[in-house]
Amino acid sequence: MKASVRWLRELCPQLPDDPKGIADRLTAAGLEVEGSEEFGRSADSCVVASVVSTRPHPSRSGLRLVTVDQGKSQQELVCGAPNVPDAGGLVVLAPLGSHLPAKGITIERRSIAGVASEGMLCSEAELGLGDDGSGLLVLPPASARPGARLADALPASRDTILEIAVTPNRPDGLGHLGLAREAAALFALPFAPPAPKDPPRTLESDLAEFVSLTVEDGERCPLYAGAVLLDVRVAPSPLEIRWRLASLGVRAISNVVDVTNLVMLEFGHPMHAFDLDKVRGGAIVVRRAMAREKLRTLDGADRELAPDDLVICDGGGPSALAGIMGGGDSEITPATQRVLLECAYFDPPGIRRSARRHSLHTESSHRFERGVDWADTRVVLARAAAWISTLTGATAITPARVVEAKALTRRTVALRHNRLSALLGTTVAHGDAVRVLERLGFALRASEPGVDLWEAPSFRPDVSREVDLIEEVGRVRGYDAIPATLPRVRASRDAGPRQAIARRAREAAVAAGLSEAVTYAFVSPKELQAVGAPNATVTLLNPLTEERSVMRTSLLPGLLRVLAQARRHGERDARLFTVGALFLSSGASLPDERLGLTVVVAGERTAWLSKPQRVDVWDAKGIAVDIVFRLLRRPVSVLSAPASERPKALHPRGAAWILADGTRVGHLGPLHPDVADAFEIDDTPMVVEIDLAAAHALGPSPTRFTLLPRFPAVARDLAIVVRDDVPAGDVEQTAREVAAGLAERVTLFDRFVGGSIPAGHASIALHVVYRAADRTLTDAEVDERHARVVAALESRFGATLRT
Amino acid sequence: MLSRKPPQVCAEGWFVVWGPGPKGWFVVWGPGPKGWFVVWGPGPKRAACCAIDALVMSAAGSDGILSSMERSIAALRAGFRQRFEAAETEQALRDENAKILGKKGELTSLLRQLGDAPPESRKAIGELVNALRREVEASFEQRLFAIARDKRDKDLNAPPFDLTLPGRTPAPLGHPHPISRVRDEIIDVLVSLGFAVHDGPEVEVEENNFAKLGFPPDHPATDMQDSFWVRVEPGAGEGPVSARTLLRTHTSNVQIRAMTTHPPPMAFIAPGVVYRRDDDATHSPMFHQIECFLIDYQVSLAHLKGVLAEFAERFFGSGTPIRLRPSYFPFVEPGAEVDVGCPFCKRPDGRRAGCSVCKGTGWIEILGCGMVHPVVFESCGLDPEIWTGFAFGMGVERVAIVRYGIPDIRLFFENDPRFLAQF
Repeated sequence: MKASVRWLRELCPQLPDDPKGIADRLTAAGLEVEGSEEFGRSADSCVVASVVSTRPHPSRSGLRLVTVDQGKSQQELVCGAPNVPDAGGLVVLAPLGSHLPAKGITIERRSIAGVASEGMLCSEAELGLGDDGSGLLVLPPASARPGARLADALPASRDTILEIAVTPNRPDGLGHLGLAREAAALFALPFAPPAPKDPPRTLESDLAEFVSLTVEDGERCPLYAGAVLLDVRVAPSPLEIRWRLASLGVRAISNVVDVTNLVMLEFGHPMHAFDLDKVRGGAIVVRRAMAREKLRTLDGADRELAPDDLVICDGGGPSALAGIMGGGDSEITPATQRVLLECAYFDPPGIRRSARRHSLHTESSHRFERGVDWADTRVVLARAAAWISTLTGATAITPARVVEAKALTRRTVALRHNRLSALLGTTVAHGDAVRVLERLGFALRASEPGVDLWEAPSFRPDVSREVDLIEEVGRVRGYDAIPATLPRVRASRDAGPRQAIARRAREAAVAAGLSEAVTYAFVSPKELQAVGAPNATVTLLNPLTEERSVMRTSLLPGLLRVLAQARRHGERDARLFTVGALFLSSGASLPDERLGLTVVVAGERTAWLSKPQRVDVWDAKGIAVDIVFRLLRRPVSVLSAPASERPKALHPRGAAWILADGTRVGHLGPLHPDVADAFEIDDTPMVVEIDLAAAHALGPSPTRFTLLPRFPAVARDLAIVVRDDVPAGDVEQTAREVAAGLAERVTLFDRFVGGSIPAGHASIALHVVYRAADRTLTDAEVDERHARVVAALESRFGATLRT
Repeated sequence: MLSRKPPQVCAEGWFVVWGPGPKGWFVVWGPGPKGWFVVWGPGPKRAACCAIDALVMSAAGSDGILSSMERSIAALRAGFRQRFEAAETEQALRDENAKILGKKGELTSLLRQLGDAPPESRKAIGELVNALRREVEASFEQRLFAIARDKRDKDLNAPPFDLTLPGRTPAPLGHPHPISRVRDEIIDVLVSLGFAVHDGPEVEVEENNFAKLGFPPDHPATDMQDSFWVRVEPGAGEGPVSARTLLRTHTSNVQIRAMTTHPPPMAFIAPGVVYRRDDDATHSPMFHQIECFLIDYQVSLAHLKGVLAEFAERFFGSGTPIRLRPSYFPFVEPGAEVDVGCPFCKRPDGRRAGCSVCKGTGWIEILGCGMVHPVVFESCGLDPEIWTGFAFGMGVERVAIVRYGIPDIRLFFENDPRFLAQF
């Protein structure tokens, strides 16, 4: 909402001449001033000048030389405007050195086609007072003295405009009257809304002779009022009106339409003006639309109406979408002679539904859906009729007609004084509270010890409960006046582990050297299909784009997109993870939001001071084991996944399950090349996916202390050569089984091929630590067991011992 | 290290100092044949005294009658120190020592010859040999110590390591996302004030997201939170309109779920992902919120201010002021927006100079708050005459933008590695 400080001070003259001060107080009371702009700043430096004479430019046909009187002296200027007035006409001169912010120019001495010109005669657009740039701004005759500053001569040319963010609960803040009332209360000033004046020309008559008003749906239109004006002469509005509208961002159209807009900006109550001669059958009916009825609105759109839409009809059918937009057929034109003014109160939710249904958001619907002041209908109509009559010489028919289809009443709310102090946490003097509420327009209807009964004004639909009154008192006094006290904090029970699981998972992944990505939870169905994830369970009905139209059932697409994007930025190496919910089918009305962690590692891995190497599946395994162990503190193993159960996004050579204590908690492997292609990734990233819900279900770590060994260990290394398709893990496992009972630890510490190892074979080296818990082992015991380990490897894998 | 106590006098002119060790160890100074003399070795106090006695005695016996044994002894005595000195390494020293004291060593063979000596001189020569053995042993220990010392000195004086080379880490450095960093910091502050951490679903029924929070149907307040409506499969024949399920627009659904399942009092925070149908430089269709919620008997706006002030103090730093501006959220009354003093243009006197971050105002808006609306209590079956409470909620991205000076909210979700590596 744009608010004119000049207008506010016209409505409440005692307000300080201090736009910043007014803005600060409004902000502190909840009407946040988000910014302000100076309207007509050029009027500070430009002066009124009267035309003395005009002659053609000596060499350029489109230009004229205009001599003007600017008070102190006369001067001649070069002017290209087509509408230089005759001698005595008043124009606006931008003297040398003046600045015109609207065009970003500063006036300098210059020569135009060989003739020096010291200054410029300005158009409305050049002065920043409107959008008319077609010719000079010509002031009304005798409206000002030549030489006067424009801002002094015509004060309407200068204003400060506040941009106020009015919250949806305060429709009264959408009109200058409401803002002035609020400002007056904040500055503790008296305030009385101006009383409407009578139109200069009236004709007492029954309005029904000109138009009949019928309301068929009183629920949706509790109040409908009309006024009729005859002998209207539609013309452009005077400068003051045009400038005020321009300063508030409204385009001036014609005197009749401009008045309805100004009245809306004053009272916050939208009006509509019909050309009465185009109201077919001389009848207005307010009713709901019939199915498939059509209406062409002012914006030129043909709209099919729904039975829930409220329409204003004439004898020929719908002529306006009530409270939202008029129809094109009955709009005011320069030829209009008789005008019907409409002022109504429409049911706010109904207006909102219609506005949304037709994707129309207008100044009018914005106010009606928040709830306008239903009690000001007569005043608003009278104000508009008088104003139009004054401007156009029209005759107003009196009285106006008000159809009250449904009685509306003011709310009465009890305020307990001790409750006020208790909720604010500070003691408020009773008299202070009363004064604040009265200034805001509340009426004290009854008072008992400790309890006051307040009647809320009709322009405050947001106030219906005691707590609303408490807020009014609190905000006008200011929240700075409330102390800060720490409360007793009694924490809730049963907080649920989900947040903690997610946090620990993130911390484990960061500790494993991965960087966290936060990806959108909505993806495209195509991406889910590409990674072989389950079909989406949750589909957006109004997605922003098809790319983000379903809720993910896998974290992988989002992360692969991040990788592809990074690659486009030239970042080849990535070690990324993300933690988030998967939205899976639960069979119930809400999905199973299952927490997952997905890792993507791609590009090269660097080791200390050595050549970087491509990441491979053992990076994935190391990361998976590291993260799961950090999370669970349970033994972690990795088992190749059988082809039939392989996760579809993974490469068959490397797809594997991740097991914690034998329970499957995730999978890992190189990305399937088809998936890489789908995401335009040109190599093979490694993937780890952990089902955090399954991991958490394993429960707390079973860690138990075991006594530290008291007897010495004997370490033996052995190296064998086996065929290179023998899984090293099987060799290790066999050694572990055979040595069990006597060996504390079996570790695979080397595997290599090539060199002296025969083709098709590999050397595998194991480190075996023997130790008994109850005695020092003898060499003989160790030798015997170690020989059995070697023998087992020889017989099971055809291994030969390297010496 | 050696005891700081003054050395004790053992034999005349000899001093002994004991130091710590599994069995203790000793150091002896004394006047040797070549001037001052040091014996060093493990053992109790008694061992040190024996070593000194032997040294004194061997000096006394040097005037004895010459026999072949005595000559051998004399030759040995005259040479062993040079031989030890000549050994450069510990191994060489031990080899040399073995040549004298080993099984076939020179001194050992002298002892074997003792049986051939006349009985009357056996005792004297035996004592002489033993004295020499102690002398050799002491000299060996001394040289051993010197070699070890020398080796350590060399190590200590070797050229320094090149610490300009990169450090070796077990894994590359991982980075938490800035959203996580800020969220966890906020959580930690509020948890330390006593709040529990709650969780709620991201896909929610309209009732919990709007109606029970006091959003009137068809009210413009819902424009503040333009929603993504969803269809959940398998929907039991529910059409798009009647399903009325949506992606939650705020974490306030958690307060409804808490109040409808648990008896008050309660105090918790609810961090989580929320969704609104907006996408530009300052709005993301998915973002993160943390809501803080407390209900108890006689909770007031002053309590809300107290928690907010404490939060600002701990999160933004000591002396950070807060300011409440009245505002409107349907589920609180009174409601307010909260500004904190701009952390970027704070001057030493505590005032704010005004900068581009706070647009010259000295204040930055970070959250919305208010007293729980009676309508919300009623919709959850609680009596607003008994219970009062407050709620405040903040956008994590908003706080991160302020904290790190991030110009565009979309950067959070692009996850450019160069962006992530900065946090």
